[in-house]
Amino acid sequence: MTPRLRLLMTAATPEITRLGGLHRAPGRRRRHLTSLAFLAPAAIWLLVVVVYPSFATIRYSFYNESASRFVGLGNYKAVFSTAAILVAFRNNIIWVLVFPFLVTVIGLMLAVLTERIRWGTAFKTIIVMPVVFSATASALVWRTIFDLDPHVGVVNALEQTVSDFVHPPGAYPVNGYAGQSLAGLASTGVRPDGHGSLVSISTFTAGRTVELGLIGISQQTLALLAARPAGAPTSRPGVIDGLVWRDFSPSHPGSRGHVYPDEDGLPDLQVSLLRTGGSAVATTTTRPDGQFRFANLGPGSFRVRIDSQNFTSSFEGTFWLGSQSVTPTGGLSQTAQALLSVPLIDIAMIVAYLWMWAGFAMVIIAAGLSSLNREVLEAARIDGASEWQVLKRVTTPMLAPVLGVVFVTMVINVLKVFDIVLNMAPGSSQAAASTLAFSMYTHGFEGGIHSGLASAIAVILFASVIPAMAWNLKRIKGQM
Amino acid sequence: MSFSVSLRRWERRSVKLATAVGGVVVLSAVLALADSPASKAATKHIGGSVTVWGEWTGPEQQDFEAAITPFETQTGITVNYAGKPSGTMDTATETAVKGGKPPNVAILPDPGTLRILAAEHALVPVSSIIGKERANFSSAWNTLASVKGKQYGVWFKGANKNTIWYNPAEFAAAGITSTPTTWEQLLADAGTLKSAGIPPFSLCTDVGWPVADLWQNLYLKSAGAADYNKLAVHDLKWTDPTVTTAFNLLAELVGQPSYLLGGTQGALNSTYPGCVDKVFPAPGSQPQAAMVIEADFVVNEINANSSNYTAGTKGTGGATCTTDPSKTPCYDFFPFPYPASDSKYSSALQGAGDVATLLKSTPQSRAFIKYIASPQGAAIWAHLGGFTSPNKAVSLSDYPDPVTRADAKELVDAKSFVFSLDDLQGSWEPDLWADMLSVVKTPTAANIAAVEQTMNAQATTAFGH
Repeated sequence: MTPRLRLLMTAATPEITRLGGLHRAPGRRRRHLTSLAFLAPAAIWLLVVVVYPSFATIRYSFYNESASRFVGLGNYKAVFSTAAILVAFRNNIIWVLVFPFLVTVIGLMLAVLTERIRWGTAFKTIIVMPVVFSATASALVWRTIFDLDPHVGVVNALEQTVSDFVHPPGAYPVNGYAGQSLAGLASTGVRPDGHGSLVSISTFTAGRTVELGLIGISQQTLALLAARPAGAPTSRPGVIDGLVWRDFSPSHPGSRGHVYPDEDGLPDLQVSLLRTGGSAVATTTTRPDGQFRFANLGPGSFRVRIDSQNFTSSFEGTFWLGSQSVTPTGGLSQTAQALLSVPLIDIAMIVAYLWMWAGFAMVIIAAGLSSLNREVLEAARIDGASEWQVLKRVTTPMLAPVLGVVFVTMVINVLKVFDIVLNMAPGSSQAAASTLAFSMYTHGFEGGIHSGLASAIAVILFASVIPAMAWNLKRIKGQM
Repeated sequence: MSFSVSLRRWERRSVKLATAVGGVVVLSAVLALADSPASKAATKHIGGSVTVWGEWTGPEQQDFEAAITPFETQTGITVNYAGKPSGTMDTATETAVKGGKPPNVAILPDPGTLRILAAEHALVPVSSIIGKERANFSSAWNTLASVKGKQYGVWFKGANKNTIWYNPAEFAAAGITSTPTTWEQLLADAGTLKSAGIPPFSLCTDVGWPVADLWQNLYLKSAGAADYNKLAVHDLKWTDPTVTTAFNLLAELVGQPSYLLGGTQGALNSTYPGCVDKVFPAPGSQPQAAMVIEADFVVNEINANSSNYTAGTKGTGGATCTTDPSKTPCYDFFPFPYPASDSKYSSALQGAGDVATLLKSTPQSRAFIKYIASPQGAAIWAHLGGFTSPNKAVSLSDYPDPVTRADAKELVDAKSFVFSLDDLQGSWEPDLWADMLSVVKTPTAANIAAVEQTMNAQATTAFGH
């Protein structure tokens, strides 16, 4: 409604009220009864499904887990002394501090931008769409988007593309995150050199043969590199002839250091010849049967190194859905860690929730924007204000009431955030992602049921929503 | 992707398998068994109806209905079966009892609710009703359905958690020719698999219940059923040395990230039944690990991945097992190993099951309970697959393959049988799972000690002692 029309209505209101008051005197009792009769169904409905359950919940919060024994404030004490529930408090605080602010800012930006572009309505429709999706479906979609496996999660797939470009993995990646180590790979004649390479334990002179064994290499890797049965190096003057082979034989699974017929050579390994001093003299690559050769060597002794780039680890992936903290909490006590850490899953959930709610914020703010007095904005522009200044100094202050509504609505929304925790966080990080509403659910409906504790959490949650509710109600009343 | 709301383990069993079982198979099995001598169990015509609640829905419900068809035809009683969604059976039954409208028979997914309902005098004792059929079950099973010496239920379906499932082709690739019997041997074989470049274990520990199952096996094998049952009701402290022993055994496995597919992080991101698929993949993928540690309901998932899988260590037509699921892949299990130093509890078995309880005694419901205790219905479901019965009278030849037969044999032969401990913990079960996961994340002595303290405090709150 335009400001002018609204002004007109406000002016008219007292008149209408007075008129109503005049008419109320005769037959007031009957009118009362009539209005009561109309109100009754709604009132009874409210009593049964809202008022009674609310009071019952408050009552249950003072009773034990099966609601059979009065325990006073016991459940409330338990709420504030149970680490898992304190984590839920922490997460609620993170949500309230971060989410309403971000969603309001993003909503404002989208509202201002969509107002200016061609196809603005189409764009708005697309952004609003997530609002109509079920929160469960959205949460499941985002769980997939953030999945650790790059074959599943698009975020990790993007990261992998970049990572593989910057750090291409070796043919024999040693993945520390999967518990693998270079020392675990070394089996016969080699040891880690401390710089990511494997180096021969013994030294060799020209004319000698070298056999270096590695283990922990899968059949799939061998098949991929088209490995052939390990070849036998032959000694020749002026030449160091060598073999790198898979030192694991299915027919002799316990035996190491001997080349059996069912053992394959390791192809495509970059191998360097080192002077005993450490400098590389020559570099070559192993053949499909695992053999390599350094020829035209002079006197002196050498070591053979299997170079580090063979073992560059493959992409690890970011465990977006995991419970590891983004804030450093090392060295703190367990309780302090629980209260001060911000798990990665919280960030992933907030991003997903922004996607779900930004459209809603945009629509409300855009509605407010369209009712702004354009003349003020025009005046600011004529006075030479840049667009950014207009947004910051004129639009935003004028929109403050609408932004307030969005902000407070989102505070309430976020205080009771639940479905996204249930559906987006994998079981192993659900404890870290827990919120009060989720904690209420797990205690009230999962495993062994503790209705007292769950009710106490519900009451606390209710109490924390009241200030925001009161603010909203006051505003609505102020408008009427 | 698995829809991973935290349902309880036994309630979450996969029901994919029986989709493959067509109505023809069901019908022929019913016809075959209706004529068998066992069908004389209930021949008196009674008529009327009986309401039965259970947690089997979908294909499992079809199999259950097939199993009770002879009962309906022989007695003329109509069975009104209502399959409750998984995870809701306990609550639904308790609510119905409180509301005064319980079903005649409730088939409960754990003995915890049986105990609660028996304490509320909501259950009818069944010993005199089932009479000599009682001998179809070992005393371990009958005791598990009893409260204060009175038997209130009959176990119809069992689950064996004393199992580790392995891909025989992967074992062969690592040159492992016999399955391990001791914990030490299992870890040694894991080392061999690792040398062969095969990650030994695909854990399912994105949630707590699979690691609880694993730990409970370790506790049972190292401390025995007596201590296990004491710990289950917190008559034994969680700081007890026996608890530490079991945690230390667990740490020997999870403390070796290179034994776990994807390391510790990979294990904590691996969901059931995705963890099964890593060992027994669908055609188009190669197995990535050799073993998965879970109960026998794993088989449902394996068969759902491909019908190529053969039970045992030989592929279709006796061919060599292949890792390629599109050729002749196989699956097999070995009983959960025991610590070499202490083999006296090696035959103890952890499991789960569905127990039929009588809430309203009528001639029809009594006849139904008696039928459930007889081997007739169980034998039909056994034929259909995806089912093991604790009923000794069900002939092992009724099972479709050698692996299920070995699985069922363990179940009926178990000298001491314990139920999943976590399912008996009441309100702190989710906490217990979180504590177990904490040890997977940080398997150090210091953390184990801290976790034990936490668990003891949580159990004390939950049990009031």
